[in-house]
Amino acid sequence: MDKFGKSQPVKRVEDIRLLVGQGRYVDDIAPVDALHAYVFRSPVAHARITELDVRDAVDVPGVHAVITASDLDKAGLDTGMAFSSAPMRDGSKAPRPKRPILAEDRVRFVGEAVAVIIAEDLNAAKDASELIVFDYDELPVHMALQTGGPALHAEVPDNCAFDYGLGDEVATAKAFETAAHVVKLDVSDNRVIVNSLEPRGCFAEVVEGRLHLSFGGQGVWGMKGELARVLHLDPADIRVTNPDVGGGFGMKGMAYPEYFVTAFAARQLGRPIRWMSDRTEAMLSDNAGRDLTSCAEMAFDENHRILGYRLHTLSNLGAYNSQFAQMIQSHLFSRVLTGVYDIPAAYMRCEGIYTNTTQVDAYRGAGRPEAIYLIERVMDRAAREFGIDPQALRRINFIRPDQFPYPTIPGETYDVGDFDRVLTRAETEADLAGFDGRRAVSKAHGKLRGIGLCYYIESILGAPDEDVKVDFTDDGGAIIYVGTQSNGQGHETVFAQFLADQTGIPVDRIEVVQGDSDQIERGGGTGGSRSVTVQTNVTLLAVANMVSGFAGFLAEQAGVDAADVSFDDESFRITGSNVTPTMLEVAQMAREAGRSDLLTWKATAKLPGRSFPNGAHFCEVEIDPATGATHVEKYTVVDDFGNLINPMLAEGQVHGGVAQGLGQALSERVVFDDEGQLLTATFMDYAMPRADTMPMIRFETEAVPSTTNPMGMKGCGEAGTVGAMAAVANAVQDALWAHGVKQADMPFTPQRVWEMLKDAGHKP
Amino acid sequence: MYSFEVERPTSVADAAAALGKDEAQALGGGQTLIPTLKQRLASPSVLVSLAGIADIKGVSVDGGTVTIGGGTTHGVVAAEAGAYPALAALAGNIGDPAVRNRGTIGGSLANNDPSACYPSAALASGATIVTNSREIAADDYFQGLFETALEEGEIVISVKFPIPEAASYQKFEQPASRFALVGVYVAKFADGVRVAVTGASEGGVYRWSEAEAALSGNFSADALDGLTVSGDDMISDLHGSGDYRAHLVKVMTKRAVAAAS
Ligand SMILES: Cc1cc2nc3c(=O)[nH]c(=O)nc-3n(C[C@H](O)[C@H](O)[C@H](O)COP(=O)(O)OP(=O)(O)OC[C@H]3O[C@@H](n4cnc5c(N)ncnc54)[C@H](O)[C@@H]3O)c2cc1C
Repeated sequence: MDKFGKSQPVKRVEDIRLLVGQGRYVDDIAPVDALHAYVFRSPVAHARITELDVRDAVDVPGVHAVITASDLDKAGLDTGMAFSSAPMRDGSKAPRPKRPILAEDRVRFVGEAVAVIIAEDLNAAKDASELIVFDYDELPVHMALQTGGPALHAEVPDNCAFDYGLGDEVATAKAFETAAHVVKLDVSDNRVIVNSLEPRGCFAEVVEGRLHLSFGGQGVWGMKGELARVLHLDPADIRVTNPDVGGGFGMKGMAYPEYFVTAFAARQLGRPIRWMSDRTEAMLSDNAGRDLTSCAEMAFDENHRILGYRLHTLSNLGAYNSQFAQMIQSHLFSRVLTGVYDIPAAYMRCEGIYTNTTQVDAYRGAGRPEAIYLIERVMDRAAREFGIDPQALRRINFIRPDQFPYPTIPGETYDVGDFDRVLTRAETEADLAGFDGRRAVSKAHGKLRGIGLCYYIESILGAPDEDVKVDFTDDGGAIIYVGTQSNGQGHETVFAQFLADQTGIPVDRIEVVQGDSDQIERGGGTGGSRSVTVQTNVTLLAVANMVSGFAGFLAEQAGVDAADVSFDDESFRITGSNVTPTMLEVAQMAREAGRSDLLTWKATAKLPGRSFPNGAHFCEVEIDPATGATHVEKYTVVDDFGNLINPMLAEGQVHGGVAQGLGQALSERVVFDDEGQLLTATFMDYAMPRADTMPMIRFETEAVPSTTNPMGMKGCGEAGTVGAMAAVANAVQDALWAHGVKQADMPFTPQRVWEMLKDAGHKP
Repeated sequence: MYSFEVERPTSVADAAAALGKDEAQALGGGQTLIPTLKQRLASPSVLVSLAGIADIKGVSVDGGTVTIGGGTTHGVVAAEAGAYPALAALAGNIGDPAVRNRGTIGGSLANNDPSACYPSAALASGATIVTNSREIAADDYFQGLFETALEEGEIVISVKFPIPEAASYQKFEQPASRFALVGVYVAKFADGVRVAVTGASEGGVYRWSEAEAALSGNFSADALDGLTVSGDDMISDLHGSGDYRAHLVKVMTKRAVAAAS
């Protein structure tokens, strides 16, 4: 794709800085004189607060203030946190129970913020927190992922936050009536804690009368709007920045209580305030991911063609609605409801459930991994029940290349795809032919080997529009201002590289500016695998404007027609002249000619349509039946990401995505006890995937360029996770099926796998 | 963390004196104690660091015995206790490099975490724990979860390990902490076999006497076939039920025997 980028595996320019400890994360750059904020959190999962007395805490030397809900209330803040509501299937409006910034009359989960201590140092703040008098009457907790039980919110007596539906329920029911086979499966999708390397943190200060909040986030503009709303400030009086961010994964895309209180306190006390979460605090208070159960049914005709698909999901929201929580397992899930299959009728229903647990919201893939996990588990089960090859069943049902553009039941239009070709390539890369031999070797070592396929499709989400600005600077370089936000993906490299490819400006003369609401008016941040596609799409427009602007200027100078000036990605050529100035040289000429209008280029562009990355993951596991230990031995990914700007960074995204999918499948697991206490509140009990968990990943691409954006790109940030969960689960299922285990659900911890085998009567 | 004073004695005598003070506590490598302090779960007023006492560091071999100073790090044991390979291997698989470069055998034995590795080595080897005031046989030393025969302020100076004819430690790792979910240490001596199990029992590290009897007659994994382990008094937590741990005790013992033979 020469025209739109040279597809080079350029190394990340930001890596050295980040790897040698010179990253500027929020806790590194907080003002030196900032006071420390420390959050006093609820020790119980559900209780009515009978007393909250902070007087002794305020008296601790070094303590400047202890802020509670009543202080926010007295100051007239808008103390309800924002959230979006999923549409109800009966068209009614669901109640919107308040999510207070700080607990008001009740606490509803362990870790809920109750008070914030502001002190000279963290130790003083912690000393003070031990002196807070917090008395409460405990209430019965609701932990089960089902409606009913003790109500968390008076206005929602059955704990059902919403009841969403999509598709044609009647047509789907008909399809089931005529089906030759129906495959039915209950699938749970375990809750995970996101565990970004850098936990959440922020600082706030008042600079020349304006509030500045810096936080580790996924974009600044949403937070700016929320601060304006909650604190009743003119947006012009607020600056929000995101410095280096050590991983977000959706979790950092939302507003959290601490940011508002820190900003409030900075204004109240006239001092900069900093807050940084510690690890256990993060585990208690960061939005978690996944946590749903679904009952799925697929109807087939006698030739194993799908006639209908329906499902009913229960989605755990935690105690309150986080910002986008209701949308994840409803609307976002539905985007890829029917996967890569040509399904004539489908219906999904999703109910959101309040429980006395931490909030659940977006986590890498946000709804799409969950949808694909489910349908790919069902397809795998169907193939096993029919006794046919899982690849063959998929091929029978794939949307064929000649069916694109393909309108899906949830109302998306898949632009292009060639699933059969990608799968065929994956079968070769994964050496499917050699699997029986590898299984025999495993068997000789007393191990059970299995192989699993997931054919995923992903829908690129997030705002389809984006802005860009390019400034030619007096020192002879260029600055590109972007509306997306790196969370460690390598945006600085990619956006500079893309602009360099398009304009010939040397990459080391380009500075990328992101994450500052004062320097960039608006933007969509990072999320939904959108960044590279939306940002390069608008950059192309800016470059086109720049080229024609400069060409006109050169024509004027040379006294020729604008049509006689051309640009070849490196330099301008003027008919009848042998001067071939570069972009930077023309900018310099313009500057000298006093044409400052030619030194700043802005553009706004909206993607014409969504793109749909897809691909095949093959996973091979080996299980030790004596202990239940499961290890991934071989892993192959063939992705159709369309055209790539930097294949190395795309592969890195896939590696990270697969690690998170594997982590959820093999070890990551959130456990609460019956009273709602989090048992997995440190890394001593919460098992992250580690280097030795990870296989070598074979990564190849089989590009079918998107037709809905000029670059033919598809987005790659979440795809690895979307594909990994079902690939692992189907591999484990494959290893265990012959040993009598007909249902194998994540997470495949040793004890759980051992129990599956034991319950199936397996004798090692 | 609450604030505390730090003392850095260079001799055992000075350390013992410092530990005589009110609310004083020994600090070995800090790999257990420092996280506890950070969480404000302990509040000693004085920490007596043992790191500066050269006398309690190092590995020496004398005939059939390896002696390891109480202040020796896991990393040093892994590198220098080659005369007792199973012990060196155990040390080399504790935690990660950062933990092994700081954590000490004295700290591990004093702490007696029910999932720690060293207690099983000491018990299965019939080691002797030498303190600043006495020598304690491993059989008398371990007294339950986090409980030992150590008196307040008593310092582990060294640990004497008789070197067995054959030995192996097999650790089935708890997936998150990578401590032992179940660890079994088997040591074969001329006069019999000792088997110590860590990670499993609610009573802490223990000797599996039925296995010892069976193996002393026939040192092969098959000798264990007829034995059963009950899950009744086993630890049950989110990583493994009592039954699962009981099952693993036998699996890991067999593997240890196979690896040692
Ligand atoms: C990430 C991580 C992973 C780990 N993995 C494992 C593992 O796989 N297996 C395993 O066995 N352990 C593991 N550990 C624990 C590690 O081995 C510790 O080093 C050990 O438990 C304590 O030793 P220490 O020297 O750090 O003692 P400290 O933490 O300094 O002290 C622990 C206790 O012992 C006392 N103490 C210390 N030294 C002496 C002494 N010489 N005499 C008397 N009392 C003393 C202290 O007062 C304190 O009560 C792990 C620890 C971490 C942090």
